[in-house]
Amino acid sequence: MATYSQELRERKRRDTDAVLGWLARNAVHIVLLIISLLCLIPLLLIISASFTDEIALTRNGYTLIPSEFSTQAYATIFRNPTVIIGAYAITIFVTVVGTTIGVFMMSMLAYALSRPDFVLRKPLSFLVFFTMLFNGGIVPYYVLMTQYLRLQDSVAALIMPYLVVAFYVLILRTYFATIPTDLIDAARVDGAGEFRIFLSIALPLAKPAIATIALFTALNYWNDWTTALYFIRDPHLFPLQYLLYIVQSNIEAMQLQSAVGNISTGPVPTQSARMAMAVLATGPAAIFFLFFQRYLVRGVTLGAFK
Amino acid sequence: MKKLFAILVFVGLLFAMVGGLAAQDELPTLIYYFPGSPQTDVATVQEALSDYLAERIGARIELRAIDWGAFDSQIGLINAAGEEYDLAFTAPWINNYFTNVSEEYLLPLDDLIAEYAPGLWASMTPETWEAARVAGSIYAAINQQIFVKPFGPYIRQDVLDAIGMSDEFNSLTSFEDLDPLLEAVQAYVDEDPTLEYVTYGLSGLSIPEIWGYDPQDFFLAVRTDDETAQVVIWPETDEYSRAAEMIHRYYEAGYAPTDVSNWAEADAAWQAGQYAVRLVDIVKPGGNAEVEARWGVPVYSHAIAEPVLTTGGVIATLTGVSSTSQHPELAVQFLDLVNTDPVFYNLLAKGLEGTHWEWAAQDDLLIQPANGAASFGDTGYNPNTDWMFGNVFNAFYSDPTQVGAWPETAELNRNARPSPLLGFTFDRSAVETEIASISAVSAEYADPVNQGIVDPAAGIPALTEALRAAGIEAVRDEMQRQVDAWLAAQG
Repeated sequence: MATYSQELRERKRRDTDAVLGWLARNAVHIVLLIISLLCLIPLLLIISASFTDEIALTRNGYTLIPSEFSTQAYATIFRNPTVIIGAYAITIFVTVVGTTIGVFMMSMLAYALSRPDFVLRKPLSFLVFFTMLFNGGIVPYYVLMTQYLRLQDSVAALIMPYLVVAFYVLILRTYFATIPTDLIDAARVDGAGEFRIFLSIALPLAKPAIATIALFTALNYWNDWTTALYFIRDPHLFPLQYLLYIVQSNIEAMQLQSAVGNISTGPVPTQSARMAMAVLATGPAAIFFLFFQRYLVRGVTLGAFK
Repeated sequence: MKKLFAILVFVGLLFAMVGGLAAQDELPTLIYYFPGSPQTDVATVQEALSDYLAERIGARIELRAIDWGAFDSQIGLINAAGEEYDLAFTAPWINNYFTNVSEEYLLPLDDLIAEYAPGLWASMTPETWEAARVAGSIYAAINQQIFVKPFGPYIRQDVLDAIGMSDEFNSLTSFEDLDPLLEAVQAYVDEDPTLEYVTYGLSGLSIPEIWGYDPQDFFLAVRTDDETAQVVIWPETDEYSRAAEMIHRYYEAGYAPTDVSNWAEADAAWQAGQYAVRLVDIVKPGGNAEVEARWGVPVYSHAIAEPVLTTGGVIATLTGVSSTSQHPELAVQFLDLVNTDPVFYNLLAKGLEGTHWEWAAQDDLLIQPANGAASFGDTGYNPNTDWMFGNVFNAFYSDPTQVGAWPETAELNRNARPSPLLGFTFDRSAVETEIASISAVSAEYADPVNQGIVDPAAGIPALTEALRAAGIEAVRDEMQRQVDAWLAAQG
C-alpha cells in the first residue's frame, strides 16, 4: 500500500519533471515561435485581404482566411501590368548596377585610405569623415543634382546618391588596414603594380567585409524611394518602393482634396487592390530572400571565423 | 566597371542635352506644374495646346504633372532651389499658398492681371478677388468652382422612400430638426440586415459653418452676420454647446459606430451600404449624380446651411505665377485664355475632340468618351480635375445628370452672402508658440467632444480650459487686432 502510493508519488514527480524539462528545453523555441507568428500574421492578413472581395472587406474587416474569395484586385492591377513590371526592372537594374559600381568604388577609396604610405591619406580621410557630420541639406543636394548634374528623370539619379557611403568606406578602410604591410611589400617585390596589388591581394582578402557592405548597399538601393520622390517624374522610371508609396499617397491626397478642397475626385483605388499591390511588390523579393539568405548570412558572418 | 560608370554619366549628360535642346525653341515655353497622375497622351494634348497658344499669345506650353503624393515635396524643392518655371497650382491645402507668398515664390499679379487678363478679372466680382489678396496683393488667379459650402444631409433614396418622410426631409431648415428623421431611420436600420448604422461620423455637426460662423484657424470663428467681426472662441459659443449636446445624444443613441473612423473608412462603408445618412456634406448642383457615379449609391440631398462666401472657400483652388518666371506677362495671358476660352480650357481639361472625347449632345455641351471607349479613363487623357486648370463653369459636362449644373453653381456663388472676413488672412507670426500649443490640445480635448464620446457638460469646460491654458486668448486678441486693422483699411 505504502509502496504503491510512494511509487505513484514518484511517478507523478517524474511526470512533472518531464513536463518541466520539456518546457525548459523548448522554452526558447516556444518564445521564438510566438514572435515569428507575430511577424507572419500581418503578412498573411495582407495576402488574405488582397484575395478578399472589396465590399466584404469593409463589412467583415480583415480576416486570416478571405471571407469572400475574389481575384478582382489582381485583375485590376494586371489590366496594366507594365507599370509594376517596369518598376521591378528599374529596381533590379538600379540595385545590381549600383551595388556593383558602388562596392567597387568604395573599396578602391577605402583601400587607398588604409595604406599608411599614401600621401593624401589624412586630408582624404578627413573629407570622407566630414561628410558624415555635415551636409548641405536637401535644397543644395537638389540644386546639385538637377541644375549642375542635370540628372532629374534619369536612372543615374537613382544610382548616384548611394554609390559612396562614407560610413561604409570607414568600415572597409578598417578592414583593409588589417592586411599586413609585409604582404603588400612582398607583392611589390614580385613585381605587382598598385592596381594589381589591390585587385589580386587586397580585394580577395577583404571578401567578408565587401560581402557585408555589398549587402547593405543592395538593401539601400532596394528600399530607396526618397531619391525617386525628389528627382523622378516620369512614371516609366519609378522604382518599386516609390510606386508603392505613390499608390498609397495618391489615395490619401485624393481623400484630402475631397475633404478640404470641396472637390470631387475620380474613383480611388480600392483597399484590396492596395493589398494586392503590396503582395506583388514584396512577394518576389521575400521569396528571393528566402532562397538566398543562406549565402547572405554566410557572407556576413564569414569575417567572424578569421 | 569604370567604363560602366562612364557610360552612366554619359547617359545622364545625354538626357541633359536632350532636355536642353527641347528648350531651344524659337517661341518661349511656359512650364506649368500641377498635381495629377501623368497622362499617357499628354504629349499630343501639349502639342495641340501649344499650337493654339502660339497663334494667340506667341508661346508654347509644357505640362508637368507630378503625382499627388510627390507634388508637395517636389514643388517645394523646385521653389526652394529657385528653379525656373512659370505656372503652378497652389492652395491652402497643397503647395501652400500662404507659404509661397511669404517666401516670395509667387509674383504679385494685380498689375499683370489688369494689363494682360481683363477677361479673367471680369469673370469674378471684386469681392471674390479680395479672398486671394495677401498683404495687399493678389498672388494667384482663382480657379472658379463652387465657392460656397451649402452643407446638408445626404440620405439613401431607398431608405427615405421606405420611411416615407420626403416632405420632412426637404423642409429641413436647421440641423437641430433632424431628430424625428434620424429616429425613423434608426427604426428602419434595425429592420434591415444590410444596414448597420444610421450614419458614420458625427463630428461634422461641430463644423462652425453650419451654425452660421466663418471658421478661422485654431478654434476661432466670426459670426457671418456680425458686421463688426468679433472674433470668438468657437467652443465657448452657445452654438457649440448645442452642437456638442446633439452629437453626444446621437452617440448615446448608437447612430454611429463608436470607434473613430477616417474619411477612407467612411467612404468604404458608404460604398458597402453600411449606413444610410451622410449628416453633413456639401450639397451642390449635380451633387446627387456625383455621389451616385462615385459610389453607386442613389441619394437625395437637401441643403440646410446658408451659403456664405468665405476666404477658404474661394481660394481652395488657385494658379500662381512663379517669381522665377522669365515670361510673367505670357503666363498671365495664358491664365486669361484658360479661364475665359472654353475651347482652350476643355482642350487642357478633357483632351482632343475625336481622340479623347466626342459630343454626346453638343447643344447641352455634353461629351462622352471617344471612339466607343468604356470610360474617359480608357482614352489616354483624363486628368479628371477640371478645377485644377481654370474656370470649371466653362467645362463640358461628362455625365448627362450633370447637365445644367454650372449655371446653377455660378448662381449659388453669385448670390452667396460674403462673410465679413472675406479677404482677410491671419498673419500668425506673432503667436506661433501659442498656436503650436493649441494644435496639441485639439486631439486630446476637442475630438472626444466632436465625436460625442464624452458628455459635453464635462468635455466642453475641459476643452475651453485647455485652450485658455494653451494661450488661445492671446491668439484671439492678436486676430481681433489684425481684423480691426483690416476692416479699417477696407473703409
